[in-house]
Amino acid sequence: MTNFQLAWRNLWRNKRRTMITSASVFFAVFFALLMRSFQLGAYDRLFQNVIESYTGYMQLQEKDYLDDRILDNGFFPDTSLVRKIENDPNITEVLPRLESFALAAAGSRTQGVIVMGIDPKGEDRATGLGHRLVKYRLDDSAVNSLQHQDIPARTRKLIKVFSGYSYSGTARLMADLGIDEKDSAMILPAIRKFASIRNSYLDSSDTSGILIGNGLSEYLKAGLGDTIVLIGQGYHGASAAGRYRVKGIVNLPAPDIDNRIVYLIVTAAQQLYDAPGLVTSAVICLKRNDDNSLEKTRLRIGRFIKDPLVLVPWRKLNELLVNQMEADNKSGLILIGILYLVIAFGVFGTVLMMLAERRREFGMLISIGMQKRKLAGMISLELLFVGIIGVAAGIAVSLPPVFYAHYHPIRFTGQMARMYEDYGFDPVMPTLLPGGYYLWQTVVVLVILIIAVGFSARRIFRINIINSMRT
Amino acid sequence: MKVVEINDVHKIYHDTEVEVRAINGVTLSFEKGEFTVIVGPSGSGKTTLLNLIGGLDQPTNGEILVAGHRLSELRPSELIDFRMEHVGFVFQSYNLIPVLTASENVGFIMSLQKWPKEKRIARTNELLGSVGLSDRGNSRPSQLSGGQQQRVAVARALATRPEFILADEPTANLDSKSAEALLDIMEKLNRDEEMTFIFSTHDAKVMKRARRIITLEDGKVVSDETRTEN
Repeated sequence: MTNFQLAWRNLWRNKRRTMITSASVFFAVFFALLMRSFQLGAYDRLFQNVIESYTGYMQLQEKDYLDDRILDNGFFPDTSLVRKIENDPNITEVLPRLESFALAAAGSRTQGVIVMGIDPKGEDRATGLGHRLVKYRLDDSAVNSLQHQDIPARTRKLIKVFSGYSYSGTARLMADLGIDEKDSAMILPAIRKFASIRNSYLDSSDTSGILIGNGLSEYLKAGLGDTIVLIGQGYHGASAAGRYRVKGIVNLPAPDIDNRIVYLIVTAAQQLYDAPGLVTSAVICLKRNDDNSLEKTRLRIGRFIKDPLVLVPWRKLNELLVNQMEADNKSGLILIGILYLVIAFGVFGTVLMMLAERRREFGMLISIGMQKRKLAGMISLELLFVGIIGVAAGIAVSLPPVFYAHYHPIRFTGQMARMYEDYGFDPVMPTLLPGGYYLWQTVVVLVILIIAVGFSARRIFRINIINSMRT
Repeated sequence: MKVVEINDVHKIYHDTEVEVRAINGVTLSFEKGEFTVIVGPSGSGKTTLLNLIGGLDQPTNGEILVAGHRLSELRPSELIDFRMEHVGFVFQSYNLIPVLTASENVGFIMSLQKWPKEKRIARTNELLGSVGLSDRGNSRPSQLSGGQQQRVAVARALATRPEFILADEPTANLDSKSAEALLDIMEKLNRDEEMTFIFSTHDAKVMKRARRIITLEDGKVVSDETRTEN
């Protein structure tokens, strides 16, 4: 009779106790994994949204630019360097950006703005800027015209509620105006007729065209075809002034950017700031963007990058967001910690009860010749079985919902969906596929079990045979 | 041949505020093949003396030699091995391992001693046969009567051919018929295998069969009577 067999039989001797302890471990592992996968999945999606909409996974910058974002900290990209970087197997392209500030004026209104010089086609591929062009705007004339159309009263009412809103796609428009699929064929043609905006995107040769944020457009009261004048300070103290025609209005998720941004093609921005060839950053677009591939790519191309240029990874570019996520992550970890604390007490309760109940048996086993270390080994196996059953069941049962919710994320509706969309994110809550965090949950439970094993072994080594046989 | 020698042994407990002298200067010896009963009123020190002989407890003073081993010189883990090899225990409340069958209980100490499987099975079958339980080898303790469980306990105690068997009130929880049957088995083993039995008991049936009766009172031996015939 081996320790293993004896431990296994002892386990089923008090089935209810074993089941309760295993179940407590199971529920802790199951809920912790589910909670963690949703939390990490949400972070993953958020980072993906922010990185893929704005910063990219890696940028080439002058070393002082991250801390002091002025034109004087820009750089003149060397075409041979750019070619070398683009030759890396994990890099698809390198996009130049020239970012600075100016005063924008339209008619009698002015506003301080961010001027972003971009490669229009590349930027559209990398961040989907072209898809953010406003397609519909419920301005006063559109709202008035739609009130006289043959559309349901509810939608008519909602059109008034959302007066002044702009939309880059029909999905959000339909959600806001309460238009369902069956009514869309009747209502959408009217909306297209009265609320459509014939926006167009920048093309690479258009040095006089400008895209402006929807919020800025409303503030400046500048529509398509209107003129915007930019005045600012150019490179090395030169003065910067330029006149542009509004080609398109883009709807950007973050209001503070939407209210203050204008896009030019990069050569137009270089002309404006009297800095031909200057860029403030170059976004490096990747094929595979997981941490491992990113780090390998960074090391590979880092060999070509010489001072004063540096490669800045997305964590550094989004330091504030990363810190916010880490703070939020800690609150999640505290919750999981509490969950495991409860489990630890449960396991210890079981251990104490088992040690008390079987004290006489332990005394008998030692008296007939079982060494205490062998007895402790047997009890340890029993506890490990209980834990492993709970952990294995918790992991097994958590896998289907985690996989399902990853490929079919929970979709928010109503206010929650709107809030997500306002920030430019899909209103979904996906899970993160099993990875390192699964291993950590297992390690935590094993640590609890090892402490319980250590505790029970200590009690066994301190058993007094005479006293235990008296019980 | 002496299997146990006890020289001026004292055992004093300090568990409570009052000092308890459980054994107070006992000197005894036990020869191979004895069938000895230790009797005395409750609190006279019978169980304590058995615990000291079996190496379950250490004397405060004095010396105990078992099969040539001075028990006070053995470390705790050596004492456990000593008990496994030299002493068989039969307890009042059977103390079988509940998750093991009768056969597995009998073979348990042999498996601790890493006997080969075939030898272990043969010895188990032999012992179950000698206690009249050949057909109950696959039964768990909960499926056996009190008398049957105690017979399994006797078979387990005999398994590794110890020097002697210590039986603490072995018939206390048995009805008279089961007790007589158990004593028949023990007597037979004593006679046929020359196995030494040392009992502590209040039971007249056990005393009736004993060839030597030691009476304890207040931790002292007040009489040590050997009978030539039962």
